[in-house]
Amino acid sequence: MKLTELFDKGEFVITSEVGPVKGCLRSSNGDEPPRCAREAEMVRECVHAINVTDNQSAVMRLGSLAASVKLRGKGFEPIYQMTCRDRNRIALQSDLLGACSLGIDNVLCLTGDYTSLGDHKAAKSVFDIDSVQLLKIAKGLNEGHDMMGNTLTKSTDLALGAVVNPNFEPLDLQLLKMEKKIEAGAQFFQTQAVYDPAVFEKMVKKTEGFGVPIQYGIVVIKSPQMGRFMNENVSGITVPDRIIEEMSSVSKEDRKKRATEITTELVREIAPMAQGVHFMPLGWSDIVPTVVDAIKGTV
Amino acid sequence: MIGTIPKPFEEIMDAVAGYEKLAVIGCDGCAKVCMTGGSDQVEEMAEKLRNQGKNVVLAVTPDRTCYVSKTRTALDPHMDELKQAEAVVILGCGGAAQITRKVTEDYELTIPVKIGLDSVGHMDTLVMGELALEQCQECGECILNETGGICPVTKCAKSLLNGPCGGAQNGKCEVDSERDCAWILIYNRMTALGESDKLRRFMDAKDYSKMAKPRTLNIKERRVA
Repeated sequence: MKLTELFDKGEFVITSEVGPVKGCLRSSNGDEPPRCAREAEMVRECVHAINVTDNQSAVMRLGSLAASVKLRGKGFEPIYQMTCRDRNRIALQSDLLGACSLGIDNVLCLTGDYTSLGDHKAAKSVFDIDSVQLLKIAKGLNEGHDMMGNTLTKSTDLALGAVVNPNFEPLDLQLLKMEKKIEAGAQFFQTQAVYDPAVFEKMVKKTEGFGVPIQYGIVVIKSPQMGRFMNENVSGITVPDRIIEEMSSVSKEDRKKRATEITTELVREIAPMAQGVHFMPLGWSDIVPTVVDAIKGTV
Repeated sequence: MIGTIPKPFEEIMDAVAGYEKLAVIGCDGCAKVCMTGGSDQVEEMAEKLRNQGKNVVLAVTPDRTCYVSKTRTALDPHMDELKQAEAVVILGCGGAAQITRKVTEDYELTIPVKIGLDSVGHMDTLVMGELALEQCQECGECILNETGGICPVTKCAKSLLNGPCGGAQNGKCEVDSERDCAWILIYNRMTALGESDKLRRFMDAKDYSKMAKPRTLNIKERRVA
């Protein structure tokens, strides 16, 4: 099912992210399910769809399309993430045709983290097209033609998502790009992780007339070290000292419990301003059902 | 100019292993500005090679080693020495090395031409003798008119044409926290010019066929093929 259908029905759309494994998924008897499949199982009952990252942080892993198709086969609704980092316009269009052919209904179009941030630092970065152009191209495929105007034997039918970073300064420049994405074909947005309600509110107010649903994005802070690491190394995200201190104040064993509480508080406060929430639990998918349960009635 | 940096000396020694008589040829153009291949560096390289037991039979620095005519002008008077050389070491860009190879072929000399520098891009000098910056990729369809005179193809790590990615922090690029985000520079410049609304225009995917290598410039016809 396309996420756009859920938004159209007025559903508060809940999604959670899994990262494909660094390895192959062909199973032998006795293999335990891969981590991404286990994480998906943890959130099966409480999310509408599962984002599948595309070689996230430029670290080489199982491809997003293969993992999305595998999850689809297990009854999940995947959101196939597609970045512009590793493929040129021919490969991206071909993969969009492939995704639709293999039963994928949702695609999230992103620029992609830069190659040098990952584990193959010497790789050639492609960036043949950007995320705005990718959205326009994907919309064209939905309308029955490739980016050169050549007719397709059959159109794709993909819901097109995009991302926006409410933390970006100057915000007006980020929103200028968001408007270009909407004009190009973006039908829904997921945000970068936000920990400051005022930051999210500012973006919501400025995007009121944009007419697209937005999901509030949150990365679960698992430890004070992770919070500090994100502040120092992950651009575009600011984890407030308050959260880092709270995570420092509990014992290692209690961190997951505290992270669940902090995530719940943030989602309770921020998500009502949005049309959905997108969790990025980074391995702690098991806390997502608790958070979703706790926010019932508030969103 | 074409930016250059020296290769490690050991790598140069590997490249000339087995050749005793060497010619060292620099370039008084870009490599001089980069302080990698001007006449001073050519002399230094000749000295270092001699210290390693090499016989440097010629050390010369053409005005512009990427011009066939200027290279010939510099080498013509030294034909006797060049004929003795078993190999040539170029302290210039990749273009200088290949022009020199062509010139040696024109002289009917079949000798290896080795390069002592790595070429690192089309650079513009910000501080003479200290700092140069890459600003242009020679993409074949300049968009500076649309971007406030700041090139996102070169100055944005991802060559984005429709605005910034979400990765900038404190105005700096996610790839290098010392480097300004090109799109914030563009936005600030266009805002100062009162033209930020022009950034709303959708920029189509670039025509990379205009960068398809190797390009040939027909100067008389003002045409690239």
